[in-house]
Amino acid sequence: MKRLYIPLILFFVMILEGVALELLPAKLVTSHLYMIPHWVLIVLVLVAVFYDTENTHAAVLYGLIFGLVIDIVYTGVLGIYMFTYGICIYLIHSLSRFFHANILSSLLMGILAIMFADASIHLLFSMIEIADMAWGNYFLYRLLPTIVANMLFLLLFYPLLAKRFEIWKDQRLHHSL
Amino acid sequence: MSFLRKKKLFVLLIGIIILVVLIGYSIRDRDKLTTAEQFVSDTVGWMQSIIHAPVKYITDVFSNMDDIRNTYDENAILKEKLAQYKTLIYEVQELKEENKELRKLIDKTDSLRDYTAIQASVISRSPERWIEQLTINKGSLNGVWPNMAVITADGMVGKVHSVSKSTATIQLLTGFDQFNRISATISRKKGKDIFGIIENYDQETNSLLFKIIEESDKDLKKGELVVSSGKGGVFPAGLLIGTVKEVIPDQYGLTRTALIKPAADLYEIDNVIVVDRKLPSLDGQETGGVE
Repeated sequence: MKRLYIPLILFFVMILEGVALELLPAKLVTSHLYMIPHWVLIVLVLVAVFYDTENTHAAVLYGLIFGLVIDIVYTGVLGIYMFTYGICIYLIHSLSRFFHANILSSLLMGILAIMFADASIHLLFSMIEIADMAWGNYFLYRLLPTIVANMLFLLLFYPLLAKRFEIWKDQRLHHSL
Repeated sequence: MSFLRKKKLFVLLIGIIILVVLIGYSIRDRDKLTTAEQFVSDTVGWMQSIIHAPVKYITDVFSNMDDIRNTYDENAILKEKLAQYKTLIYEVQELKEENKELRKLIDKTDSLRDYTAIQASVISRSPERWIEQLTINKGSLNGVWPNMAVITADGMVGKVHSVSKSTATIQLLTGFDQFNRISATISRKKGKDIFGIIENYDQETNSLLFKIIEESDKDLKKGELVVSSGKGGVFPAGLLIGTVKEVIPDQYGLTRTALIKPAADLYEIDNVIVVDRKLPSLDGQETGGVE
């Protein structure tokens, strides 16, 4: 039963992403700054840092599944989020071994994940000619605001989720012993 | 170790192949979603409509507070406008009656203007800003099909992109590219109408590009209304698209392009009307995709 909690949280966060733009004030949405909620990715980073051990890859699996669902529901172009989230979380998972699991390292992981994911999504979308934005403008008007907005989300969700993920991890380890 | 390395590389390569296949499959011009996609969209759409209600309530409270501050000024303006509308409504009714009678006289009851409206509410908006799309809570069970026009009370907002059983995604005008054309017109007296095609949305000027087909000395004025002409074969005639903002010559100086400001607010959309044209449509003429 406990194993279902994480997918349920991810599913809920993914649905929240769909109303994210309504929660922001209209002036921000219509301005030239683009903030893309990558909240699922943020939660996945927390899962990778706090829930997964060296030998488990739950976060990568969830990344692939929920990436595909985001593709179906929000973009209609299959594979892009699935591939990006999968690789991104795999890299974060391998990187997080070198750090202690605390808020600073999660922030660092979050920033790296958002940078990698959003940049590769931009790359893929510009390859199929859906996005056309010069890379300079992209960094200034899209990537930076996106990173800032998602880090605020991470700070908000860290106290709610981090401890819980660790407890679930310990419980799972005890079960398997 | 070297075996592990090879295995990882192998998995990555297979991943890239799957990615390319999936992208290639999904960006080709599909007229139907697969059953799996429809199932996921329906399930998520059902949850979204549950979540959307409380969120809507909260955002409404805030926007209401904002509205109350401007109420007095708005009220004065609206009263003034209402007086004008009353006479206008009377005139429109007269004209409609007359139009009906005249149509009866010439035995032509179907018109490009006729459509049935399907009311729907928006349940989510894509967070991915490269793709401007909305999800609504009506789908193929309610008679929504791809390429139908979608309007709000203010004017056109987009067209239906794909449908599942109980949800549909709408491509907004802001996400239109060169493959989504709308045949449009500016109404003038005595057959001097200006026809053209709305080609795509220009992000820099935040306006739609209206290419005028038949170039002449007909001068466009700022503020003129652009409506759909219904001649593209999919959308009904007479849907308001926007107003002329500016007229610019194209790069060769031979034709001119009008910048059109969309009439509807494309950011705050809660309720939409899906427009089902009564006259049978020719498939894919207006908004036909890549062949």
